[in-house]
Amino acid sequence: MGEIALPIDRFPVPDEELVRIIVVTSLTISCILITAMAYSSAFCLISSQLLFIPIIYAAYFFPRRGLYIAAICSFAFQTIGYYHSYPDSLAMISVTSEAIFFIILAALITFFNERVRSGEVRYRAIFEHSQIGILLFDSATFAIRTSNTKFSGMLNYTPGQVNEKSFLDIFLTPREKSRFLERIEKEKTTSDFETRFATKDGGSCWVNLSWDHIDANTVSCSVMNINGRKIAEKLNNDNMMKYRQLTESSPTSILIIQNGFIRFANPSFVAFLGHTVAEITGKSLETFIDPGDRENLNEFMAQWSQKIPAAQTRELRFVTKSGEIRGAALFTTAIRHLENPATLINLVDISEKQRLEEKILQDNDRRRGIIITVAHELRTPLQPILGYLNLLISDPEGFGIVADTKKILERCLASVDRERQIINQMLDLSVLDSGKIKLKYSTFALAPMVRKVLDDGGFGTKADLTVDVGESVMITADADRMISILDSILSNAISYSKPPRKIGIIYRTGIDDRQHHIAIRDNGIGIAPSQLCSIFEPFQLADGVVLARKYERLGLSLSIAKKVVQMHGGDITVESVVNGGSTFTIHLPKEVQHDA
Amino acid sequence: MTRKIMLVEDDLPILEMMEILLRKIGYEPVLVPDVLEALELVKRDPPALILLDIMMTPINGWEFLEKLRTEYNIRELPVLLFTASPSVEEKIRQMNDPYLGVLQKPVSVPDLKAGIERFLGK
Repeated sequence: MGEIALPIDRFPVPDEELVRIIVVTSLTISCILITAMAYSSAFCLISSQLLFIPIIYAAYFFPRRGLYIAAICSFAFQTIGYYHSYPDSLAMISVTSEAIFFIILAALITFFNERVRSGEVRYRAIFEHSQIGILLFDSATFAIRTSNTKFSGMLNYTPGQVNEKSFLDIFLTPREKSRFLERIEKEKTTSDFETRFATKDGGSCWVNLSWDHIDANTVSCSVMNINGRKIAEKLNNDNMMKYRQLTESSPTSILIIQNGFIRFANPSFVAFLGHTVAEITGKSLETFIDPGDRENLNEFMAQWSQKIPAAQTRELRFVTKSGEIRGAALFTTAIRHLENPATLINLVDISEKQRLEEKILQDNDRRRGIIITVAHELRTPLQPILGYLNLLISDPEGFGIVADTKKILERCLASVDRERQIINQMLDLSVLDSGKIKLKYSTFALAPMVRKVLDDGGFGTKADLTVDVGESVMITADADRMISILDSILSNAISYSKPPRKIGIIYRTGIDDRQHHIAIRDNGIGIAPSQLCSIFEPFQLADGVVLARKYERLGLSLSIAKKVVQMHGGDITVESVVNGGSTFTIHLPKEVQHDA
Repeated sequence: MTRKIMLVEDDLPILEMMEILLRKIGYEPVLVPDVLEALELVKRDPPALILLDIMMTPINGWEFLEKLRTEYNIRELPVLLFTASPSVEEKIRQMNDPYLGVLQKPVSVPDLKAGIERFLGK
């Protein structure tokens, strides 16, 4: 409507209105002429009141112009009336009142007409500018009669393109279409029908439809674009599914604890405990903890509430439904659950690990037991050999042994004795490993002990000795063990150096130093850097080849020495230069914590 | 005074070797490989000294000693424990038994002689 406009004297006038103006004008003119003729008494039957017709017509279609026309008509009517009735004053008054009546009538028509029209304009504006798509379609054919720009824009069409389509053609799939048809069949009025439309380029657009039959043939339908909401919902659903799967299928148990109560437990935890979900949720975590570990749990939970930023971890024992005790490692993270602070616990079942650890300990014990038994068994047959050899050597003349034979017997004795020593070391190490050995602490002066070791071992005859140990140096340790440690290191120094041997024993410490340092330095062949870290390792840790070589060189005395010093809370370290000598340093703590 | 020394040891080669050693230094060895039998024998024919192995079955040297001292009330018969373990020395020190000594394996003739002479004199 009103799309074609003709410019008349600079103002564009819609063609339809132009036609109306022409019609009204011609009608008015003809009415005036008719009236004039009536007053000229030529046609008495034609009433001057015929002027009503153009006034009502004009006032109805063109309210403001209608008023002008009414005014013109009234003026013409009055002029003609005065002309005929003059000087009859009564008739003249009657003509004037009639003219005024015309104008009032036109004004009334205009007033009501305007009111009606402004209402229409308002509704049209609502329709055109609505943020909801609105359309009317035929209830029988579903042809779209009219739609607003919001609706066409929603589907990327121009308003004209949409209005040529059938409403049924814009559904995305035949399934959506049949759902709609079913629904509209059942319900004349519907709100919140969610479906998908196809956009012009074939995309999908989620919409929420509400419709109502406004008359027998027309359905008014409002269309709300809910694409954004649907996409967000789908994303949300996808995320929910993802997290759900994560927690439901996680092999680690997942718990949410709030104020000490279990708010959530995943199937893995349910399986771990053997209780049902209902038996677990809402209960306090403490319920499922071994009574012996409850204090441990409370201490652990106190750490959560202190909001220590680093994640916490603790191993606790749980009691399952069947009464079995199962160990688990708990890792906590602070989270928010239902708007309130909570603790997320990842729980790893370590009962299997603990079982294996126990088994390893048992196996080790068993193996140590075997080693100890085997060592005893190996040692026993050596006794008579050693006894006989000692006997023969102690009285060569009595047994008729010549000097050469005696030399051979002495070599046999040395070899057998060495074997005995190795077996003894093996035993010693196994017993030390078992942890059943207790050190016998005493406090003694170091210098006399060093002198005793040097004298007993005859080291003074084998090497040039330098001893730098203050007479006032007192140490607290297991004296017998210390003697054998010093003896082992000194023997080792003698074995791996050639005359002229030089051995230095140096004691060092500081006022702030919490350790004694006893260094034993030799001028021997030294130790290659690659072997430095392995010389303290007992032979059972090395492979066969290394075993043979190390056995020959070092035996087990250094392993035993290091282990014993470590039992004191100290250590033995070594520095060495190949062909320049080695320095073994015993580090012993000054303050020892020991029983008795 | 008798020169009889009872040797309680369940390992036969050691027993045989010790017999030679004891004879060599002029003692009269009584060899008892069965520890329970030894207890009976001590009562019947008491020796001058017992050389006692520790690791034996069905009762070990310590149990033998306990029975001898308490059950049989033989408190003044010298006993030399015959062992390869160095820790035994510490243990018998604590037992405070004046008639108890230790003889370290492997035994040499001079050690054996000195050990016996400590209790029996030369």
